[in-house]
This record gives sequence, C-alpha cells and structure tokens, in this order.
Amino acid sequence: MECCGPGYASPAEAIKAPREKLLYTIAIYTGTGIQKPDYLATVDVDPESPTYSQVIHRLEMPGIGDELHHMGWNACSSCFDDGSMSRKYLILPGVRSNNLHIVDTATDPRAPRLHKVIDGAEIKSKTDLSGPHTVHCLGSEIIISFLGDAKGEAPGGYLHLNKDFEIVGRWENSMGDIKFGYDFWYQPRHNVMVSSEWAAPNTFMPGFDLEEVGHLKYGRELHFWDFEKREPIESMYLGEDGLIPLEVKFHHDPDSTHGFCGAALSSNVIHWWKDDAGKWQWEKIIDVENEPHPEWPIPVPGVMSAILVSMDDKYLYLNNWLHGDMRQYDISDPHNPKLTGQVWMGGLLGKAPEVNGVKMAGGPQMFQLSLDGRRLYVTTSLFSTWDNQFYPEIREQGGVMVMIDCDPENGGMTLNPDFIVNFGNEPGGPARCHEMRYPGGDCTSDIWL
Amino acid sequence: MTIYNVTIANRDNAVYEVDARRPLLDSLRDQGVDLPYGCKYGGCITCAAKLTDGQVDQRRQVALNNRQIANGYVILCVARATSDITLEIGVESHGQLYRNPFLDPLKPHELKADLATPKDH
Repeated sequence: MECCGPGYASPAEAIKAPREKLLYTIAIYTGTGIQKPDYLATVDVDPESPTYSQVIHRLEMPGIGDELHHMGWNACSSCFDDGSMSRKYLILPGVRSNNLHIVDTATDPRAPRLHKVIDGAEIKSKTDLSGPHTVHCLGSEIIISFLGDAKGEAPGGYLHLNKDFEIVGRWENSMGDIKFGYDFWYQPRHNVMVSSEWAAPNTFMPGFDLEEVGHLKYGRELHFWDFEKREPIESMYLGEDGLIPLEVKFHHDPDSTHGFCGAALSSNVIHWWKDDAGKWQWEKIIDVENEPHPEWPIPVPGVMSAILVSMDDKYLYLNNWLHGDMRQYDISDPHNPKLTGQVWMGGLLGKAPEVNGVKMAGGPQMFQLSLDGRRLYVTTSLFSTWDNQFYPEIREQGGVMVMIDCDPENGGMTLNPDFIVNFGNEPGGPARCHEMRYPGGDCTSDIWL
Repeated sequence: MTIYNVTIANRDNAVYEVDARRPLLDSLRDQGVDLPYGCKYGGCITCAAKLTDGQVDQRRQVALNNRQIANGYVILCVARATSDITLEIGVESHGQLYRNPFLDPLKPHELKADLATPKDH
C-alpha cells in the first residue's frame, strides 16, 4: 500500500517503530499554591543523551488556572492512508479553564511551540460544553469528551473540531439517557464506541466527597454507541462492581471486539466483548482487594484510575493510586487474566516510600508504554484537588516520573534504577506531572480503521 | 455604587475597595492581588478563600459542601461583598478545605446544598 500519512499500517508495524527519544508530559501549578501557568514538559528519554532523564524544555500556557490533564494528537494511524495529514499537533485541554491549547510538536520536537488557543468561553457559548477530557482524532477530524455543560452540570457531550481546529459543533446526535461522561474509545470495524462515567465537573473538580457516590453523583455505567449514527444504543449497569468506571481501552487489533475498563473506586477491571450471537457482554475479570491500614477505620481501596493495553494486546497494565502498586496482567485469554508483574512506588501502604533516592508523594497514577512494550513511564499526580486530599505532602514535594522495565516475552516488571524525573525540583517550584505522550504515537493514541 | 472594604489578613492587612456588584476575584485581581482561580463560574474551588469577618453573597457557587461553608470558605470568582469583609487568601488559607474523605466523612447535613439533610437536634 502506497502511503505517507501519520502512524503505522498496523499494530504489528507500530511495535517495530524506532525507540522513543522524547516524551511529553503536562505539569501543573493549578491548585498547588504556585501562581504560574501549567506547562508542557519535554523529557529526554534517550539513554545515549547527556540530558537523559531530565526535563529539557518547558512550554508555558498563556494563562494560569487551566489544570492541564489529558491530551491527544491531531492525527493518528487512522489517517495512515492520508498523505495530506501528519501527526504534528498535540491538543492540551484545560479541565478548569475550558481552553484548548493546540501545540506544534513537529517544527522542533524538543521545544514544542503554541500554535493556537481555542478560548474556553467560545466553546461554552457555541456548544454549551465544559470540563474537557479525552482527545481522539477521528480520521482527519477531532472529537473531545466534555464532562459538563457550560455551567458544569453532567452529562456534557462531545466537541467536534475540524483539522484546522475550528469548532464544528457537537459531535453526538444524542446523549440518550447517559448521566455522566469521561473517557471513550472507538473500534470502527465494529461501528462501536464505548464511553465511561466520572461525574459532573461541579462534583469532581472541588474534590472527592465519598458520600456523593452513594447519592449517585458518580458514575457506574458503560455506554455502547452506534458510532456512525453518533448515538448511544446500549448501557451496561455495572453496579457495585463498577463504581466510577474511568479509562476504557479496546484491543489495538481493529478486528477485535474485546475491551476493558478500570472501575476506579471498586478497583476492578471490567472486560467486554461481542458474543457469537452479536450481543455485547461484560464481566469483572480483576478485583483488587481493599487493604487494611493502621490509621484507617476502613480498608483502603486501590483506586484504579488508569489502565493500558500493550500494542500486541498481550498485557494489561493498571495502577492502584492509593495502595501504591503498578500491575501487569497477561490477558492473552481476556476472560482469565494472570498477574505477571507488580512494582511498588509511593502509595499510602508504606511499601515503597522512596524510589531511586526520591521521596514519593502520591502513588502510581498515569502511565504510558513504549510501542515495543518494554518501557513503562509512570507519573504520580491524579488531579490537583484530589491530590490535596489524599497526599497533601505533594504540595511541597511535587510529582515524580519513573520508568519500569517490562518483559514482553516472559512477563514481569522491575523499576529502572537509572531513570527518575523529580518534578519537585522544577525551576518554578514543585510541579505535578500527569499524562504522557511520545512524538511518534504511543499505546493510548492510535486507532486503526 | 456601593463600595465595601476588603482586608486581606495574610497580606499585612492590606485594604482594597470593591464594588458590591462585582465578583471579589475580578475586583481584587484588577487591583493587583495575586489570586489563584480556575473555572470562573463557582464550580471548581481553586479560588477558595477564608472569610474571617463580614458577609458575602455566594449563592452562585456550587463547589463547596456545607462543612466547608461552615468553616468560612468562600468562592471568590462568584462571591460579592455585602459588608466590609476580612479574608485570608491563597493556598495558606486552605488548611480545612481538603480532607481525606475516608478518614473524615461528612455528616448528612455537611454535604453540598443539593444533597444535605437538615441537622438533627
């Protein structure tokens, strides 16, 4: 096939891509007490480089108070056949400000530059949306989940941008009976999108009140969409097994119907698939037990805020932000996962208060896996207000990025002793890092048509 | 135009005059007070400050639960002064704003206004 668009022809081709040399992560000051803009940090991850394991560039956002969180590319392997497209722009939403920052990472990958800002107020006035989260490209266009309306009430909806980053309008034709929004992933060969539920921005932004879970202010459902009709067609009520279902990931294999969701508060992994009769099914496949803590009246939940599937669809990675462990499961049989690796870093259980000489505040939170499945980069901050509740010492210590060496042949994970980025030492004061992306695409960005 | 005095206790008791019709965040920032903020519609708590004297109207805020309100917190991006007031600002004033929800649960009357039940007597 003649082609020169972004990304790779298939997941198997992506695995063979050159090793990542740069990594981008967002770093925040919002909610930390430091009156400076959030920024995009470039981290040198080339072991041959003299600045390996260091922040080598910082791109400040124009305003303060954005709370950068997740980000996404303007184009991915879904445009592989389109020679007019390239993976040039990273889109950085501000959860609190509603601003969308379009960053050019191609002109100088080491020093990204701001290309355009879509003003949060314009998005509110044109589409009645606020609280942006997940960014996916959609062929040559872009959709972004927003968790609330302009006043921060659920369920929000989806913003549709064209490839020139102009507001097209709302992407969805209907939100159906969906109560909340959060993450989404689509699998075009099956005409399906799956979306999950956090809460209304007005509920989660100020912090976590546990009592509000019982009052149904947090989600417990997954939604299956007719992707072409842009409307939800079926909802799965997960109940107590699926409290606060956050990240959703399909297999990378575009023919597969298998997908996974991490239910953060229940600390379970939910697996879904389409059965032989063409019906969507779900089951709980991993249940992380709550752990006793000497100072807690009740056992501590894991708080599984993220999951990731390796590019070969063989391993699922998950975090337990409050316990402090990262886990690797072999999901070759997605109905019967096998625990094959575990690493401790920070957390409330005191298993690893220090990593590579750095005192940890927080626990494993966001992570990104190299395309070849051998290096897992992990950061420690979740969301400013939630950090402040569970790990108040993060204000003085800042966030940390570590690297875990993974064995894709035999399974297993070990902390890499030579890599650590301490965002507590940032020149502007202790910052907190969250989601990460590589310039060449990564294990959470690309979808194949 | 009604004007009130705002005293910032943790900035050497600096005094600023504010228009009673404008949100405190806007009035104070216009006068050079460095204040954190995020959403600017009363939903995200980033701009919370502690009111230690006087009264404000913050009916538009939706971020605070009743315990935080009882502890004196106000959301500056939507709150307006209705008297002369004294504030503690910035993250130094946030000591009681954040709590571990598992270790220190809210009582039913301490939830946000839309969920709270009246306090038992």
